[in-house]
Amino acid sequence: MNETRSLSDQDLQTMLEALPLRRLHSLAKGRIPRHFRMGKRRLIVSLLGLQGEVRQYLAAEVTRHMAEQRTAIDAQQISRKRSLPAPATARHKIKSPSTATTARSGTPPTTIEAVLEGIGVPPPTEFRPDPWQLEAVSCLSTSDVIVSAPTGSGKTYVAVEAAKRAIQQDQTVIYTSPLKALSNTKYMEFSQIFGADRVGILTGDRRDNAQAPMLIMTTEILRNLLYDAASGEIDVRLNTLGLVILDESQYLADPERGVVWEETIIFCPAQARLLLLSASIGNPDEIAAWLRSIRPVPCHLIHHRERSVPLRACYLHPNGNLTPLFRTRDLVQGRGYAFHPETLKLFAEFEARTFGRSKR
Amino acid sequence: MPPAIHPVDLVQVLRHKQLTPAIVFLTSRRACDEAIEAFERRAPVIAPERTEAIRTFLADLSKQFPSIAQHPLLPTVQHFAVAAHHAGHLPSWKIAVEELMRKGYLDAVFATTTLAAGVDFPARTVVITQSSVRKTRDFTDLTIGEIQQLAGRGGRRGKDLVGFVVVTPSPYIDLDVIAKGLTGYPEPIDSQFVVSYPMVLNLLKAYPLDQIEGILAKSFAQFQLNQRAAVHQEHLDAIHVKLAAYGTRECADWITQWQLFDLAKKRTSQRRLPRQPDSPEVAARLPFLTPGRVVKTSKGRAIVLRHYASRGKRQPMVSLFLEKGAIIECPVSHVSQIYDKIVDIEPAPHFPWCTPHSFERLVEQWEHLTARLQTLPIVIDQEATEDQELVNTLAEDFPCPTCPSRQACRRDHPAALRLRQKAQQLTKTVQALKTGLWHRFQERADILHHLGYLTPTFQLTAEGEWARLIRIDHSLLISELIRMGAFDAIEPALLAAVLASIAHDDDRPGSYLRMSPGLATMMHRVRAVAESLEPYEEPPLLRSDVAALTERWVGMPELTWPQLIRMTAMAEGDVYRLLARTLEYLSQIHTLKATHPSLADTAKIAIATMQRDVLKELP
Repeated sequence: MNETRSLSDQDLQTMLEALPLRRLHSLAKGRIPRHFRMGKRRLIVSLLGLQGEVRQYLAAEVTRHMAEQRTAIDAQQISRKRSLPAPATARHKIKSPSTATTARSGTPPTTIEAVLEGIGVPPPTEFRPDPWQLEAVSCLSTSDVIVSAPTGSGKTYVAVEAAKRAIQQDQTVIYTSPLKALSNTKYMEFSQIFGADRVGILTGDRRDNAQAPMLIMTTEILRNLLYDAASGEIDVRLNTLGLVILDESQYLADPERGVVWEETIIFCPAQARLLLLSASIGNPDEIAAWLRSIRPVPCHLIHHRERSVPLRACYLHPNGNLTPLFRTRDLVQGRGYAFHPETLKLFAEFEARTFGRSKR
Repeated sequence: MPPAIHPVDLVQVLRHKQLTPAIVFLTSRRACDEAIEAFERRAPVIAPERTEAIRTFLADLSKQFPSIAQHPLLPTVQHFAVAAHHAGHLPSWKIAVEELMRKGYLDAVFATTTLAAGVDFPARTVVITQSSVRKTRDFTDLTIGEIQQLAGRGGRRGKDLVGFVVVTPSPYIDLDVIAKGLTGYPEPIDSQFVVSYPMVLNLLKAYPLDQIEGILAKSFAQFQLNQRAAVHQEHLDAIHVKLAAYGTRECADWITQWQLFDLAKKRTSQRRLPRQPDSPEVAARLPFLTPGRVVKTSKGRAIVLRHYASRGKRQPMVSLFLEKGAIIECPVSHVSQIYDKIVDIEPAPHFPWCTPHSFERLVEQWEHLTARLQTLPIVIDQEATEDQELVNTLAEDFPCPTCPSRQACRRDHPAALRLRQKAQQLTKTVQALKTGLWHRFQERADILHHLGYLTPTFQLTAEGEWARLIRIDHSLLISELIRMGAFDAIEPALLAAVLASIAHDDDRPGSYLRMSPGLATMMHRVRAVAESLEPYEEPPLLRSDVAALTERWVGMPELTWPQLIRMTAMAEGDVYRLLARTLEYLSQIHTLKATHPSLADTAKIAIATMQRDVLKELP
């Protein structure tokens, strides 16, 4: 009490000036009538004009607030100095960049030399399928299979192997892709693998070798076939249909065409196995649960996250300077991120130069 | 927005750091073309052997696809080993670029992001220059899935030990969006199920009506809706448990009964009394709120300075002295406790409502208040405030005034009513989620019945039998046009032109070609039909320039592809896609040969005439 009483007008004024306007209004509430009409300057003048006990309480409150703020800043600094081990975060949760920076600052950031290290062509090795690829092929004999794997990790291998097995058992295989261009590419690719006479193609305006054991088509064409079969215009191929491969199944979420994938899956004959190949998506387990609920056979989900070729990220400044994008060398999923300090500096410089004039 | 770095410098840096071959993703087709043009004025840097290799490879390929041989970008590709790849190019050119990339002849391909979704060709490095992409009208941030789709092209299996993503800024890039995309998990996908007219017809053809609800229930859409419904159902069950806790009362539906009673009471009392009396809680406390009384409010302890009637607030108010000398005004209803303690003050008619001397004393006395104060038990007499006369008059209509559980009803009614409203809301939501798809199906079926494709028992009519074979967008418009005889004895060129204008859904500007009078009349008619169908089906753009272009291509068999392209401002790739899509529509019409033989024949002729030159090149 004594201390606050001795607080001079001068001191109080400097303290009040340091406070935000919002805070000043809350101080004036109940003490100054119609304080809400005032600006900062007039508020300070009227607060300084208070007399007696009211003035004392005001001074006490301001000093206490200042002390609280000081301790809060100290605590923040302490926590920043302490380097915490990065906790494993839950799926789908991305840490905000600032916390990630504090969390990782224990290890020194990587260098561009380290990032660029190891560029080159691997020695030619004999192709050996990954365990998940073999798992996918073997599971197809008893269940439907969903494969969700990153781009370029070898989903086509699964399709080819599964198709080979089905053809050996005298079954028809249908392979669908969302785009005609992709269908054409796959037609050429599969013709080389299986032989031109065993692969046929059906698209909106093309019909080649339509009686072949392996048929490539766009998903719309398969949907139409299934509708025709359902309405009694029996298509011979559907009796022997053993395997339906839906490539790029993430099109299920396409706003215009997604419905076609759903129709195809719903009407897919019970005796045929489904193989859904999809790029990385967030909820393959949900799709698997859906298939389990509507299909007579179980559904096996293969959720493969690792890339077969590791990926690293760089930042290229417009002046030709190449720096690592992140503090760590390799890209890791689901662990948050922290930019490389040099990159942050360069990017800030770029933004200042691009937007500098308009912002001021 | 083009990247801040010059494309030539970009490729040079990539070559220097051994990061080639690379795919550079740019925002627009124009940015890709400009990047390639930037190379044209430079001196070639690649070895002459490589130029030769590219030349021979392309020469070989142009035997299969003659259109490659005249491509304007050919010299740049040969001398600088860079190429552009976007939807404005012909498919044959795109195949050529992809093949060159697979063979490793190219150092960089400038591509739009649309490429990422379509054809796949990998590279060692992927260059990302943007964090947003143009969708329909405005720019949206790339999703995590999309960024991973782009980044996934980096690093070729069996050809690279490591793949790279190089981010280079352009104006408006957001590094955080890209960083999240590279390090996050992709978003979950949602069903986009819609009930279309062909779906209704085909389902009704194949299955009896009573099975269809079950079939719709098998969709992923319904699966996801059921999951949402389950969450609501859980919530609903919890509410039912809470409602059950109120137990049974005299009447079966006491909430409604009490609500009606309350309403009737209010109505009667409103007619009689112009002003609402104070609530029983307030009325009971009012006599105790004399100046100097210590009370408890939500802001802590306070001392009453005065009480007064506020005209603005329409309720009794008090001025309170709070801790630290603050003075506030608040309604009496905010006072929660009244203590058995009165401090001495001398009231004054002005702020601060007591004399300055006693205000000073008040501060002192505040300090001396003990931590624990005796509270005054206030007896709130519910019955006393009720107008007895009022209740008596209502006793004839309601059992409530004499009911033994009336006290409990009065107490529980507000909370119970809220719970019941919530429960009703949730029940409706769950119901809507479970039957929404089926209702949409019924809606569509009703429209088809109204238009004559279905019988009142939802069997297919003769018209429905052939209409179900048209399984494309705007199927309703096309089948209506066929039904009204708009296509009777039509020329192949006109048929193709009309279908092209229905099929084309891109709003990139074209040019203004003159139509033949026949086509103009026809388009006028089609537009009128499309407008009349607007309540049932979103009308297509029906652009006359694409119709005119298609009419020329089909109507003038001697026209070559370069001549056609010179007629329009549309990009080659767009024209190709337009004609390819028209072909698809024509082949749908061709399937009607059983019921409409002459129309199917016309479609067949149109298909045959269309497939020439570039359109014949690719299967």
